[in-house]
Amino acid sequence: MSLTPALVTELRHDALAIRKYFLEMHHRVKAGHIGTGLSAIDMLTYLHKSWLGADDLFILSKGHGASSLYATLHHFGILSDAELATYYQDGTLLPAHPAPGAFKSIPAATGSLGHGLSIAAGIALARKTIHGTNGRVAALLSDGECNEGSVWEAATFAAHHSLSNLLVLVDANGLQGFGATREVLDMEPMAEKWKVFGFDTREIDGHDFEQIHAACTDLDPRRPRCVIARTAKGKGVSFMEGKLEWHYLPMSDEQHRTAQSDLGGLDDARDHDKGSS
Amino acid sequence: MRVEFVRAVNAVLERDAKSVFLTADLGYNAFEKLAATFGPRFLNVGVAEQNMMGVAAGMAMTGLRPWAYSIAPFGTYRCLEQIRNDICLHDLPVRIVGNGGGYTYGIMGSTHHALEDLGVLKPLPNMQLFFPCSNNHVAAAVAQVAELEGPAYLRLSISGFQNDTAPVSENPVTLTRRYASRARAKARGLTIVCAGHAAQIVNRMRETESDLEIDVFGIARYPFDLDKDVELAASVAETRRVLFVEEHYASGGIGESFAARVAGQLDAFEHMSAAYRKEQRYGSAAFHLAQCGLTPDTVAAAARTMLA
Repeated sequence: MSLTPALVTELRHDALAIRKYFLEMHHRVKAGHIGTGLSAIDMLTYLHKSWLGADDLFILSKGHGASSLYATLHHFGILSDAELATYYQDGTLLPAHPAPGAFKSIPAATGSLGHGLSIAAGIALARKTIHGTNGRVAALLSDGECNEGSVWEAATFAAHHSLSNLLVLVDANGLQGFGATREVLDMEPMAEKWKVFGFDTREIDGHDFEQIHAACTDLDPRRPRCVIARTAKGKGVSFMEGKLEWHYLPMSDEQHRTAQSDLGGLDDARDHDKGSS
Repeated sequence: MRVEFVRAVNAVLERDAKSVFLTADLGYNAFEKLAATFGPRFLNVGVAEQNMMGVAAGMAMTGLRPWAYSIAPFGTYRCLEQIRNDICLHDLPVRIVGNGGGYTYGIMGSTHHALEDLGVLKPLPNMQLFFPCSNNHVAAAVAQVAELEGPAYLRLSISGFQNDTAPVSENPVTLTRRYASRARAKARGLTIVCAGHAAQIVNRMRETESDLEIDVFGIARYPFDLDKDVELAASVAETRRVLFVEEHYASGGIGESFAARVAGQLDAFEHMSAAYRKEQRYGSAAFHLAQCGLTPDTVAAAARTMLA
């Protein structure tokens, strides 16, 4: 599938709408994990609009980004208004990290980091070597998640078994739980690491749809693909971008108004997206 | 039990195309035939237990039924979170196999002993535990595990007091074995309950006068189903005294769960189990069992005390 200018515009509008809805969700229930969702939304938008086919699966390994996935699935009609209305409320199937077995489009309960890639690799291997089916699997990890040794067990496994039906995206927003990734446990050069582990590796601006598309297509038939997506935590909201505290904080009414204003209207989507990458 | 396990799981893989076998780089001189026979359905994932469990979960999500093998301590503790999150929370049919329960790997040292494996897995949602009593009990356990729609752990062990005594009877549903029946059925007596291969210690007791008053059962599954374990339930109800024997720490062991299950019916409950020692020295499985007072003679003495 080629990425036409019209489709890029559509993707930008979709991503903006998802960001706005995502902020409303978080404001309504006073929930944190806002920054990490905003850094991932462009990739989630692309994957769900343009990449995932009927036989493909997506694993959100960075489970703390669940609300951005919920907002994305809602935008594309996969989760309903009624389901999203329960987000973060008593009795919901949409808690802060994905629940097991609740929705077909969310196949794995994640939230403890370092699990999703092994699950994705198991699905990819089973499809490739046992079922003989063509479905692909995408997994979205965070850069802090790559601190986990289990990520590298899974990476070694995926490359050893030439899982060409596996796409790994690393949301490299440069911030983790208690500091900057470079200062806490420096994983750089991230792209080099995945490359020497045997992945066909690309390094891109994770908010640029042309780059996302180019990095996620034409998978190498001999090895898995890893996309290091350089992103901004809190992307699109000026007072959140690059700020550690927005991993945790909920928004006040005033902050929510400012955040929505920062994002602008749909007409501003293209300019906004270009201007703040 | 490994030989019996390989034979049984080979049969499962032959009849069920959805079954696959993963090993974390163990199985030398045991799995060569499986590897040669089942092609992509046999996979050595390398020394990476966390990944093995996650991969097994992913494979199970596609409809497969993976067996995931390691030695008991490696296949449980390191990857406990993967077992909990990826397998149990999703209620996936992954069959975890731990070879070397208890002190099986005695002289290999503490890292290779598995004395908390049942304890850490027992509370996990949807998990079912299987711990066969002896070699001739493994095939029945494998057959049951193979039919499950959810997660299971199969604990394989070699006893320091090896004994393959055939049972008097075996419950085909619960797998519980009856190894001895009170000859003097009207006497008040004692019920000895062994978890898994601890039955082999008890079955090596010399017959004594007091044995005539003892029922011996070997249980092999958790959660219990005492409603179906009619003989065991009847014995406990009649004797009201239970001596529980297991090759596992008492805390988290099967015995404490059994005690809680039958507490209202009992006048006495004694628990013989493995025990941690700060000044640990190392030897055979029998050496370790003797160190923590788990021998045929000590069990017999405890039984006599309870009968007195």
